[in-house]
Amino acid sequence: MNTIIEAVPALQRRDLKEIASGFLIRHIMVVVMLLIVAFFAYRSARFATPDNLTNILIAAAPFALIALGQTLVILTGGIDLSVGSVMAASAMAAAWTAKNAGDNPMLPLLAAVVTGLLAGSINGLIVSKFEVPPFITTLGMLTLASGIAYVIGNGAPISGLPASFGSYANTQILGLTLPVVLMIVAILVLAFVMKRTNYGLRVYAIGGNRLAAEIAGVRSRNILFSVYAISGVLAGLSGLMLASRVITGAPNLGQGYELDAIAAVVIGGASLMGGRGTVWGTAIGLLLIQTINNGLDLLLVPAYWQNVIKGVIIVAAVGVDVWAARRGSR
Amino acid sequence: MSTVQTDDRTTVVPMLDCSGITMSFGGIPVLKGITFSLEPGTVTALAGENGAGKSTLMKIASGQYRPDSGQVQVRGQHLPSGNTQAAYALGVAIVPQELASIPEMMVYENLFIGRELKNRFGVLDRAAMIEAAKGYLKEFGLDTDPKTRMKALPVGVRQIIEIIKATHRGARVLLLDEPTSAIAAREVARLVGIVRSLRDQGVAILFTTHKMEEIRAMADRVVVLRDGKLVSDTPLADITDDGIVTAMIGRELDQLFPERPDAGTDTVLEVDNLVIAAGAEPVSFTVKRGEILGLAGLVGAGRTELLECIYGIRKPVSGTVTVSGTTLKPGAPLSSIARNLAIVPEDRKGAGAVLSLSVLDNATLPRIAAFSKFGILSGRKRREAIGTVMKSMRLKSNGLDQHLDHLSGGNQQKVVFGRWLTGEVDALLLDEPTRGVDIGARSEIYRIITELSSAGMAVVMASSDMPEILSLSHRAFVMRELSVVGELDRAQLDSPTVQDSIFRLASGQNAAPVKDTTP
Ligand SMILES: Nc1ncnc2c1ncn2[C@@H]1O[C@H](COP(=O)(O)OP(=O)(O)OP(=O)(O)O)[C@@H](O)[C@H]1O
Ligand SMILES: [Mg+2]
Repeated sequence: MNTIIEAVPALQRRDLKEIASGFLIRHIMVVVMLLIVAFFAYRSARFATPDNLTNILIAAAPFALIALGQTLVILTGGIDLSVGSVMAASAMAAAWTAKNAGDNPMLPLLAAVVTGLLAGSINGLIVSKFEVPPFITTLGMLTLASGIAYVIGNGAPISGLPASFGSYANTQILGLTLPVVLMIVAILVLAFVMKRTNYGLRVYAIGGNRLAAEIAGVRSRNILFSVYAISGVLAGLSGLMLASRVITGAPNLGQGYELDAIAAVVIGGASLMGGRGTVWGTAIGLLLIQTINNGLDLLLVPAYWQNVIKGVIIVAAVGVDVWAARRGSR
Repeated sequence: MSTVQTDDRTTVVPMLDCSGITMSFGGIPVLKGITFSLEPGTVTALAGENGAGKSTLMKIASGQYRPDSGQVQVRGQHLPSGNTQAAYALGVAIVPQELASIPEMMVYENLFIGRELKNRFGVLDRAAMIEAAKGYLKEFGLDTDPKTRMKALPVGVRQIIEIIKATHRGARVLLLDEPTSAIAAREVARLVGIVRSLRDQGVAILFTTHKMEEIRAMADRVVVLRDGKLVSDTPLADITDDGIVTAMIGRELDQLFPERPDAGTDTVLEVDNLVIAAGAEPVSFTVKRGEILGLAGLVGAGRTELLECIYGIRKPVSGTVTVSGTTLKPGAPLSSIARNLAIVPEDRKGAGAVLSLSVLDNATLPRIAAFSKFGILSGRKRREAIGTVMKSMRLKSNGLDQHLDHLSGGNQQKVVFGRWLTGEVDALLLDEPTRGVDIGARSEIYRIITELSSAGMAVVMASSDMPEILSLSHRAFVMRELSVVGELDRAQLDSPTVQDSIFRLASGQNAAPVKDTTP
């Protein structure tokens, strides 16, 4: 029965069974995730150890940042294909700075952030102001930024960096490495921003219906610009952390990462049409992919087969989600 | 009151037969055991308030939804539920309430999608399709070029195209979900003609509308739903208008249009030499505090474009708009909102609502600054303010967090209207404000419009609903071809021949000024 808006608690009207099955359906990805965890834990004794869980988190961190940026972009109905090579360009810029500017950890950080911001802003400007489709814009940036990465290193990796270059990835805070802390903070901050702030609501609104949002007073160009800029900055940070782990700037670093980032967002329930998706969903999607990577490694599955299995799981997971959404909405 | 016809069921196989249909969304029942059938060559009106379940029932009958229980049979054959293809093959066609045309494709492509004409070599025969499309459009008096992209057309025209699409497919069962919500009297008359000729060919037609005149003009029989129950099923001749309304809302409705308070004297909205598009005449007028200015005209006359230029969705060629003494920046909705200008757009799905967001978030958007501090949304404040407004609109929803795409069409309209009322509005632009809104809620919206205007708001209201223009406005303009072609004052609006003069102005059959026709 319909109720006229009032404080009629929805609870009264549904029985518990509905709620339980509704919950399962709404959180189907969590269920899928738990099943996968259970499977690996059963097959491998090493899987469910604290050390291994830390490994999963460490591996997830660089992906997390770009997947979060990607979430914002996808929520507006766009896509950012350039994040992988923006990571490379930023890492190279940071490495070059470290090599040439002495032992100051702030300068490489600045170089990485500025490079990411620059690339993201260019994407944002072209998409919002000149209305070039995001797919094309960021595809161009993917090629361009990758070229820049090789230009910076003259076609070769930059190594022999000062020890401080390793501090970004290896500093420990409360027993966790800096990238893991950054990942957790970024997830919490963005989850709050997307759920509780004007900015978040506006991002959802222009992704859901840009014209209606504009009529309601949203300046859609500014918002569009900002999501690409944010995605760029996060890619810059991510590239720096990845390079810092091996204390080397490699021009091919981050290659193909954009696809895993997009997969994480989509597994998290976001719609590529925009307007639907959550930061928590992305976090789950990300952990799912990293868990699979890690678990398959532990089971000593050959690398090429890992890709096959991963591909199947990604599509199946999204398939289950779509099925659940259909059931859930009725 | 419910007299269910069962007598001749044994002799004629019904075209469509629904029995014991129940359906619920997320545990909330929406249809509670609906049984009825449609005989060949009959027109049945499906009446009911917003959210009564009309669209849901039609979606089940056309195979889009799977009912929780119950059966649908088409011409004696079981309709596999949740299978639109099967429904189509059995001859069921539907014009959905929320139009489903393909915006990037051209008109003729939309018309022929799925049954494209081919030439001898099996290649698409575009010329033939364009020619046929032209003919179909003519039947509705439209001279739209079939090669226009769908997205460039106003909602009214798109709706007509959807109707043409469904009626030219040789369907045996035709379901029309509020086919007239965006079109004006002339097109409605054409639709009535087409429906009658299809009926004479033996098609069974089921349609919904919120307008009593249309039920009278088209239907042989009325089925009324209330809160998901079938409360009345009678031949049209056996029930009065009041009887239908009472069945729909479960009580008697006293008066549709409230008293019209007098307009004030201070100017609020001033439109100065606004040229909507190249070649159009400049438009100038002022609207006073408490005044309601009606805009009449045929589909495509430029009423929507005028309102869009005033608000800033569209940039005018030249001219200015002033609200309470401040001139607005053209093409900047945000500055209009800051000057307390508000709009309820015609195209609810395209321009009004963000369907993927909740009632709460939709209603937050235009007033976002008022509901936040340092960019952080307040939880309680906006919930309270929006809850109060939506309650006064009598919104039927499953709480403020329900997503708009899960609300019935009329209730979406209430959200798109009500979202402005949490803050101050000096001038309100309404484009078909009661499109798809049921009669009970309509009287509610009329009450709100008059209350707002008597509280000092200036209102400009474009409408295709004649009684709405005639009863609510203090003054009305008639528009044609993006220009204002006539103005009627209150005395003229009360004249018995006013409908005629408006129609003649709107269709360009009258060169002489209207003043002459008043007695
Ligand atoms: N997909 C959905 N999920 C949840 N609830 C839904 C969904 N679709 C419809 N409803 C609910 O079902 C009820 C009936 O909706 P329906 O669209 O059938 O009403 P209607 O009679 O067509 O109303 P209107 O005159 O406004 O078009 C409404 O209360 C609506 O909120
Ligand atoms: Mg409906």
